[in-house]
Amino acid sequence: MITGTADTLPDDPKIRGDVVLPDPTHGREALVRGTHDFHSITEMVCRVNEAPLKATPKPFLFGLALAASLLAMFGGYIGYLLWEGPGIWGNNNPVGWAWDIVNFVFWVGIGHAGTLISAILYLFRQKWRTSINRYAEAMTIFAVIAASSCVALHTGRVWMDYYLFPLPNQMGLWPNFRSPLEWDVFAVNTYFLVSLLFWFTGLVPDFATLRDRATVRWRQVFYGALSLGWRGSMRHWVTYEKAYQILAAFSAPLVLSVHTIVSFDFAVSQLPGWHTTIFPPYFVAGAVFSGFAMVQTLMIPARHWLGLKDLVTAKHIENINKIILVTGSLVGYAYAMEFFVAAYSGNDYEGFTFLNRMGGPYWWAYWTMISCNVLTPQLFWFRKIRTSATWSFVLAFFVNIGMWFERFVITVTSLHRDALVSSWDYFVPVTEIFYLLGTFGLFFTLFLLFIRFFPVIAISEVKSVMPQANPHWEGYEHGEHHAAATASAGGH
Amino acid sequence: MSHSEIKKPEDITVPPSSFLAKLPMLGGILAVAGLGATLGSAFGENKGRAMFAYLFAFESVLAIALGGLGWLLLDHTTRAGWGVVVRRFVETTAATLPVFALLWLPIGFLGFHELYPWSHEHDAILAKKAWFLAPGLWYARSFIYLAVWSALGWFLYSTSVKQDSLGDNHAERDRLVHLVRKVCAGGIFLYGVTLSFGAVDWLMSLQPHWYSTIFGVYYFAAGILAFFAFVTLMTMVAQSSGVMKTAITTEHFHDLGKFVFGYTIFWAYIAFSQFVLIWYANIPEETEFFMVRMEGGWQYISYGLPVLHFFVPFLYLLSRKVKRNRTLLGVGAVWTLVMHCVDLYWLVMPNYGAHGEGHHEPHLSPSFLDFTALIGVFGVFLAVYGVLLKRNKTVAINDPRLDESLVHENY
Repeated sequence: MITGTADTLPDDPKIRGDVVLPDPTHGREALVRGTHDFHSITEMVCRVNEAPLKATPKPFLFGLALAASLLAMFGGYIGYLLWEGPGIWGNNNPVGWAWDIVNFVFWVGIGHAGTLISAILYLFRQKWRTSINRYAEAMTIFAVIAASSCVALHTGRVWMDYYLFPLPNQMGLWPNFRSPLEWDVFAVNTYFLVSLLFWFTGLVPDFATLRDRATVRWRQVFYGALSLGWRGSMRHWVTYEKAYQILAAFSAPLVLSVHTIVSFDFAVSQLPGWHTTIFPPYFVAGAVFSGFAMVQTLMIPARHWLGLKDLVTAKHIENINKIILVTGSLVGYAYAMEFFVAAYSGNDYEGFTFLNRMGGPYWWAYWTMISCNVLTPQLFWFRKIRTSATWSFVLAFFVNIGMWFERFVITVTSLHRDALVSSWDYFVPVTEIFYLLGTFGLFFTLFLLFIRFFPVIAISEVKSVMPQANPHWEGYEHGEHHAAATASAGGH
Repeated sequence: MSHSEIKKPEDITVPPSSFLAKLPMLGGILAVAGLGATLGSAFGENKGRAMFAYLFAFESVLAIALGGLGWLLLDHTTRAGWGVVVRRFVETTAATLPVFALLWLPIGFLGFHELYPWSHEHDAILAKKAWFLAPGLWYARSFIYLAVWSALGWFLYSTSVKQDSLGDNHAERDRLVHLVRKVCAGGIFLYGVTLSFGAVDWLMSLQPHWYSTIFGVYYFAAGILAFFAFVTLMTMVAQSSGVMKTAITTEHFHDLGKFVFGYTIFWAYIAFSQFVLIWYANIPEETEFFMVRMEGGWQYISYGLPVLHFFVPFLYLLSRKVKRNRTLLGVGAVWTLVMHCVDLYWLVMPNYGAHGEGHHEPHLSPSFLDFTALIGVFGVFLAVYGVLLKRNKTVAINDPRLDESLVHENY
């Protein structure tokens, strides 16, 4: 951990962002480091998108090739699944739900950080969100796409999926509106749509920036079409801000509703281990937890390779880790409360389910979950750890693993030993690992393309939290309109 | 904005002849009358009824003080700056927590037998719960909750007051700021655990067969909502008594209003989660909770709560105009506090008269004791609040984030 003060930041942008500044008692730490003005921010972010296609870095192409080949494999796997049916999975009786649902809930949960950052942190006026909201939102979109691919494919007869929607048909068949599985269809679709709109709305001014800077024809056309005729006039900005605020207000309840309904998929049942009243807030906390861990996993390499450390500083990493610590502990609270109430209730079936989780055949899944989700984040109590990019990356990775196992524990261990002892069975995955890897291929292909062609930082929003955005900024008072803001100027 | 332009407020002491200065007397009168009537009855043949009324009052008001403590813990941990101008009112709320340790004594030592059926009844289910619902353990746990809350509440209050007199001693001031932040971050954990188990021990175990994992969160939601309504009103009372008339602006009230609005939704979300999962699964050991609240007149309150404690305040507080208008916001806050008491009444009172196994038929039969208990406990709370508020400046005048709070704006 390199520590320093705002006045003694090194000049090297490669290490400047990693310097840990003291927690101030008054004033606020500057969110952008170095002597940047508005123009240099634009340059820094657009550089990635404006590099000629032939100059795309080799490691990036390698990553894209890897992700795309996983995606191609996923395509083949889907074909195999459609041909053979879900029999290619290890699902058995009584474990009728396994990796298909585990993957779905895993990916939907990851999406939550994007919406939380873009909507709830926006409504709370958390200015630090501007450096990370863009790719958190992108992550949301791609994670929901990955999740949808799981849930659409797990139905067995995939070609009948349109029956999930209430389409009038000659047979008078309607979905069961009293089933949370049906609410899920609506919730996830709404979530995807609103997140997409939110993301795109935020992108419009930045697309226009790329359009205006374009030096080749295809970029002019591509970004020109995406920027929807944005001219940056006062009227455009007023409309934009209003739209943004309204979408934020719409998205905020969605953060809760989507994962609440995912939790209902389980909790409305009578199954011990699935049915418990704390599931809705517990699932939401877990979703935010996994989402922020994924933001960390994606962001730490990105800021390093794309040279964005001045915008995504140790402070941002620390803030994200604090959210991981809080939500991880909330998840721990829920585990503990479930366990306590299973014992307190005096209900033998509840009690058995929870003891079976800890010491039954799937004990390893349970303890992986506990150690990754509850114990790992506790390391973030130490400032040295939560401000370190390396530590954060490693620990966030563990959280990702733990949150996948959480859904595995809930789904599989609750099912594999049901009330009828003769039907107990042990679930073993057969080809499912390719299913999971395939969704990662889908996710990362989309994400890498996003990094290459879309501005990964919300350029206009970052500018709005710089000291220069304040009309009373001292640089203006002295008539030095282009004076560089020093990091120590701070926003008030 | 340079800091020299910001003028610190000067009207930061409670004027001797103001309404605020009379809070101790007013609260004292309410306390003596209310507690006298309630606890007086507790020694007669109405003992059970009086103790239930007392528990209802205790839990309603305790929730406000605990909500205040929760806000302080979150406020320091998140490094919030907007609320410094109103924080002393919150610190004073949390500083009353030691008094609740005294107010708890009648529950622990006078009405324990009447309130908690598991203390003397025996059946097959209770036998399985004896490892937790045992009187000795219950007293030990209660002692821990009250000690933790009192210590946290008093620490945050006294540290903040100590800061007032530090003058230009910035090193000491900053040391205290960092100390408070550390205590608060850890305090959230203690708070979460003690509040949840406090709710289990003192409220959920009134119906000892029933269980719900979300119950602790429910009590937290109720408390922090009531607290925001209370502190909004208290801030208004202070201003009308001539305290910080210009320092606390519409912007701060707007934010307080947003919190009342937000926690109204949060309360409804938690209440709905609990209800819909129990209703949908329809397992007898869980539905018991709603069954007793669906007859004998209680059904009207059960139907009324979602409407009056959620839909009405939700639609009302949704408007920016309402949150930025003190009279209208005040109406919303009073409404919220009243509905909070109804909510707690609905949690506590249907358990009155339950005995042993099997079904008991609750009746909604309000008594004057409910009212006297509420004004009694609330009177004690107000009196202590008034005394503590009068002793100090009404704002943390030396807080390093005060400037930020004074120029706070919603945009």
